[in-house]
Amino acid sequence: MKIVLTPDWFLGPDVSIEIFSFLVLLAFFIYSIRSYKINKNKNALYLGIGFLIIALAEISTILTKFVLYYDTTFVQVVGQMVVTNHVVRSVDIFYNIGFFMYKLLTLVGLYIIYRIPLKRSAKRDVILGACFVLLSGFSSYLIFQIFHLTSIVLLGLIIYNYSEIYKKNKSKNTCILITAFLILLLSHSIMLLHSRFLYVFAQFSQLISYLILLVLIIKITRTSNDKKKK
Amino acid sequence: MIKKRNKTEIIFDMLKIIQEKGKIKPTHLMYKANLSHVQMKVYLEEMIKNKLIEKRIDKGKSLIFIAKKGNEFCEKFAQVKEFEETFGL
Repeated sequence: MKIVLTPDWFLGPDVSIEIFSFLVLLAFFIYSIRSYKINKNKNALYLGIGFLIIALAEISTILTKFVLYYDTTFVQVVGQMVVTNHVVRSVDIFYNIGFFMYKLLTLVGLYIIYRIPLKRSAKRDVILGACFVLLSGFSSYLIFQIFHLTSIVLLGLIIYNYSEIYKKNKSKNTCILITAFLILLLSHSIMLLHSRFLYVFAQFSQLISYLILLVLIIKITRTSNDKKKK
Repeated sequence: MIKKRNKTEIIFDMLKIIQEKGKIKPTHLMYKANLSHVQMKVYLEEMIKNKLIEKRIDKGKSLIFIAKKGNEFCEKFAQVKEFEETFGL
């Protein structure tokens, strides 16, 4: 049974893309925590938590795909019907939990990032939003489109927030950030079409998005050093 | 409305002023950093304690110099500010 949309020739490279995404997210988490430690800005801490949760989501999908891609070899080596069936069932449960965690954690992380730039609102609103996100996460277990749709909505709202910030600060970095999130939104939109061929495009869009985020973090470090030299 | 500076931002502003000048008299620093005498005294003590700056006597006058740790702090804080500006934090 084919569980993922990944074409056979793309098994492996897709995990590499996810490992790369995880590392970029981890870099943003470290930067956010560093920012919080120096400036005691709580929003930086929340941003870091948001990035960490999405990074954990990536780890979840990486581990699941590793098991998924390599379980066939294991079954062939064992070669006994009863044992094989048992193994497949365990793997079944494992990947179901793995992909479910990926979806849930991604949505929670995106929701946290979306909430940060907003002015403090009533706790009830936060709880209501969180409930919808959790509900979407759980429903995604049955209907995968719900996950991508919710991600698209959250990414759209994040882009809107950052475009409002860009209007105020006119920072090139914020513009780069918006571009990265836009491409990530595009990636989720492609995923929504549920096509094996388009899945590769979606994965490449994700790669481009995280490459842009990597450029952004390098730029932040370099710009600061240049400013100092000037 | 101009946002009130927090403690770290004041220290960063002071370090930037010392960095630009190379060395500075405490009174000049007080005016340039827009601080009261009491505030200045407290911040200077803390910065000396944390080895961010050095106070030396040159020709009978007290002068403030930035230390290596102070330069490193400036660099780190500039990056943090850039990061916060990007995300509108």
